[in-house]
Amino acid sequence: MAERADARTWMQRGLFVALAFLIVVLRLVPLDLRPPQWAAPDLLLAITLVWVARQPRYLPLPVIAILFLSADLLFMRPPGLWTALVVILTETLRHQHRDIRHMSLLGEWGTVAIGIVAVTVVNRLILTVAFAPLAPLGLTVMEMVTTILIYPVVALAAQFLLGISRTAPGEMDARGHRL
Amino acid sequence: MARDKNSEDFAGPIRRLLVGLLVLALVGLFALWRIDSPRVERLRASVVDRIVPSFDWAMAPITGAANLIADFQSYQQLRVQNQELRRELQQMRAWKEAAVQLGQENAKLRDLNNVSLDPQLTYVTGVVITDSGSPFRQSVLVNVGAHDGIVDGWPTMDGLGLVGRIAGVGRNTSRVLLLTDTSSRIPVTIPASGQRAILAGDNTMLPPLEFLEDAGLVRPGDQVVTSGDGGVFPADLLVGQVAQTSDGRLRVRLAADYQRLEFLRVLRSQPHEVIDDPNNLLTPEAEFFGPNILNPASLNTVERSDG
Repeated sequence: MAERADARTWMQRGLFVALAFLIVVLRLVPLDLRPPQWAAPDLLLAITLVWVARQPRYLPLPVIAILFLSADLLFMRPPGLWTALVVILTETLRHQHRDIRHMSLLGEWGTVAIGIVAVTVVNRLILTVAFAPLAPLGLTVMEMVTTILIYPVVALAAQFLLGISRTAPGEMDARGHRL
Repeated sequence: MARDKNSEDFAGPIRRLLVGLLVLALVGLFALWRIDSPRVERLRASVVDRIVPSFDWAMAPITGAANLIADFQSYQQLRVQNQELRRELQQMRAWKEAAVQLGQENAKLRDLNNVSLDPQLTYVTGVVITDSGSPFRQSVLVNVGAHDGIVDGWPTMDGLGLVGRIAGVGRNTSRVLLLTDTSSRIPVTIPASGQRAILAGDNTMLPPLEFLEDAGLVRPGDQVVTSGDGGVFPADLLVGQVAQTSDGRLRVRLAADYQRLEFLRVLRSQPHEVIDDPNNLLTPEAEFFGPNILNPASLNTVERSDG
């Protein structure tokens, strides 16, 4: 990436990192240590996908990799696997983000939902093949479904609160490059 | 669709190559974790040890706000709670009287029999810093670690019952694997019937009892304590009470209050036997009876020990 990012981009990147930090800390706070009956959505994945689908230049790859790898380590997940899958998913979405901005919210949601299902299934498949300890299937499915359901909420919240809207065709950055 | 390819998202083959290498490295890390889990878990422990204590400032306001809400909710039920507490206190007074009498009787009997007991377990108290952050793993991080002499495998209790055991020690933090985690297996016994079983966590509030010899002898409400089998845990730590679910399975209602774990006691268990030299297992250093000068084990120290 030879181009220099302008100040606004850097600010938006900082904003994303701060948001991600907040989500990680919220999940780590020990409020109730009884095993949960239901699985909350994976908000970290949801905001990452919203940002990548809508404003990929605010979310460079190294940030995603470092963020998810440290989340893997902190959340006691098998280290590396989930990060690798999320990197592949975000790269795919990054490539499609020009197509995505022509879609309706429904189309964008569908594309992202397919991605979430794909990474969840592949993750579970690899863990099964590697004989790694598996999470209960019900909770995994619940987490996947709630993450898909929360996606449009996060997308709209990001759009109206933080201004992470889809780039209009022909929009340019401060230096006149087409986005 | 025709597009210009000079945007930063399409930096071309180099970017693709870097992404490929990154994914390969990450999958490699996963493979390494699968092959040599302890090493990677140690790496994890040290990373967590470095990062998490610095989250303190961010967590304090969240915990504070949550406590405020919980307190507010409890204000609403103040009257009911007060009555309940009074009733409980009344019962406890009766129990206390019984306990004092039993304690005196016990002391007398011990004195008569000249019983020597295990040395009292000492403990280190730690504060829970974080939970596992995932609905699938049940563990917490406490703020005592190798620096405080914590060793892998030590049992952890709250004020009343067993909570889990230490699994993973960093310098200043250590991870407690809770009894409810799917990989937790604790040998327990039910003193009322002398039955032994394994308490196997399954990510629910009531972990089931497995490998019971005769389930017919066990009744709901029986006390469950650790058995000390396998030398992992000290015996007779309170775990909970037997409960029977509607499907007829015997489970354990844990004595520890999992809803609010704040302070945990890490019990200093007997030191684990460390095997440095496998040969010693087969031929332990011979007990030598006779003049010390002939003892092969002390030949090189004989100068200093002087017979």
